[in-house]
Amino acid sequence: MAVDKIVLSGLTKVFPTGYGPVAALSSVDLAVHEGEFFVLLGPSGCGKTTLVRIMAGLERRTSGEMTIVRTDAGKPLTAMVFQEDSVFPWMTVEENIGYGLWIQGVPRPIIARTVSRYLEKVGLTRFSRAYPFQLSGGMKKRTSVARAFAADPEVLLMDEPFGELDEQTRVLLQAELVKIWDENRKTVVFITHSIDEAVVLADRILVMTAAPGRVKAVVEVPFPRPRQAYEMRADPAYGQLIHHLWGLLREEVLKAKAEEVAANVPLI
Amino acid sequence: MSRSSERAIPRAAAPSFVRRVAVGEQLIAIVSPLLLIALWEALVRIRILDARFFPAPSSIVGTFTSLIASGELLLHVGASLKRVLLGLLAGGVPALALGLAMGLSRWARAALNPIISATYPIPKSAILPLVMLIFGLGDASKVALVAIGVFYLVLINTMAGVLNIQPIFLDVGRNFGASRLQVFRTIAFPGALPLIFAGLRLGLGIALILIVIAEIVGARSGIGYMIWQAWTIFQVERMYVGLVVIAILGWLAALIIDAVERVLIPWRPRR
Repeated sequence: MAVDKIVLSGLTKVFPTGYGPVAALSSVDLAVHEGEFFVLLGPSGCGKTTLVRIMAGLERRTSGEMTIVRTDAGKPLTAMVFQEDSVFPWMTVEENIGYGLWIQGVPRPIIARTVSRYLEKVGLTRFSRAYPFQLSGGMKKRTSVARAFAADPEVLLMDEPFGELDEQTRVLLQAELVKIWDENRKTVVFITHSIDEAVVLADRILVMTAAPGRVKAVVEVPFPRPRQAYEMRADPAYGQLIHHLWGLLREEVLKAKAEEVAANVPLI
Repeated sequence: MSRSSERAIPRAAAPSFVRRVAVGEQLIAIVSPLLLIALWEALVRIRILDARFFPAPSSIVGTFTSLIASGELLLHVGASLKRVLLGLLAGGVPALALGLAMGLSRWARAALNPIISATYPIPKSAILPLVMLIFGLGDASKVALVAIGVFYLVLINTMAGVLNIQPIFLDVGRNFGASRLQVFRTIAFPGALPLIFAGLRLGLGIALILIVIAEIVGARSGIGYMIWQAWTIFQVERMYVGLVVIAILGWLAALIIDAVERVLIPWRPRR
């Protein structure tokens, strides 16, 4: 029986804007299990990022309840990998990776040990003293993924971390991410708009509706772990799952499009 | 040369070409001012330029060396430098602290921004009489005037530096639960550092302007005093020596700031 790690009930977020209040999330009910790789899939602008930012403590909820179960008071509740480049330009790679631990007041020798372990895991040992301007986009992403893992949080939050990368780098980093995650099986909430990425990575996929975001469906991904993403894509079950998810998403994408058009009418 | 042979240029040729261009640039940078000085000298000798207002560079150099030999120049430069450095410290340090606070805190900004905006445009030279009234005729009034000039530029640039930090970096700090002090130390200060240096650079420029003004009005030493004294006794060469010394000081100060910046901001790509 799966233990709940994150429980949301009736979670609603309304942003006040110059054009009146805009609902980003409307009554989201959701339970993410302990140790689960949970993927949020939805059309752009459906409030995925808002949902994860609320979990990260960066945004307040308008109403509803959110519980993230703590098992160790010494650990940070969440660590987030952002969509944009969030690696501090003024810190070296190793200082960036150790940042979360330093904030927690972890003794320096322990930080150094943890950092060198993660440097090795993401293949950046040679660049430990480099500054971000000397790194490629993929290397910066590896640094921010390592920074989140090294902080050893209760929950890892990832907001389309590989969205800006080219296809080959993305596939490579997905595999690396799964490998690192496999070693400690932390609870992960991962946002993507790529159906393929969702299926390759997830234990369960939440499909969100167009704005305001609600839960449309939660889909189990039946493939056992460890997965071989390359072979998986040849499996007929993979194609069926992609097709099924596309069907769910298609309606929402069309709805979002229709609303966009409707909203534009008075302006024309 | 045919196209194919152009393509066959080995890669090593590129750096040597770049180096040749760089050496050429440096050469031009040295030669062009020398040419201008030579032209000046020639124009004075053939009496196209009036030597009473534009003494020949050779005679300025003569005055320069005799002022160095007598120790007079060193005395004046030392006096001015001491006032400028004290003024930089007295104005820069509080400006840095206040600028960081105003960048980080909406409340501090709301409380102080109107006062800063209203008083900043007042010409600093216009408040010299008031400063002399308060701080007297000694060094304190010169230091205070420089401090006031530096204060605004460092403060405004530091605040802009903090406000220009991308919100994503502050999000990272908040997500990890960084305290206010930790955010200050690891995000606000290093993130604002490039603009803080821009403020220092501008502050140093205004400091040199203000120190000369203050020394002209009321001082017994300093470069400004030297220039003013030279005017009263119509020693035009000495005036030029004063101007040249200020130019050299400004240039040296820029070099020092560049060097410090390279050490303190190693994370910025070099241009």
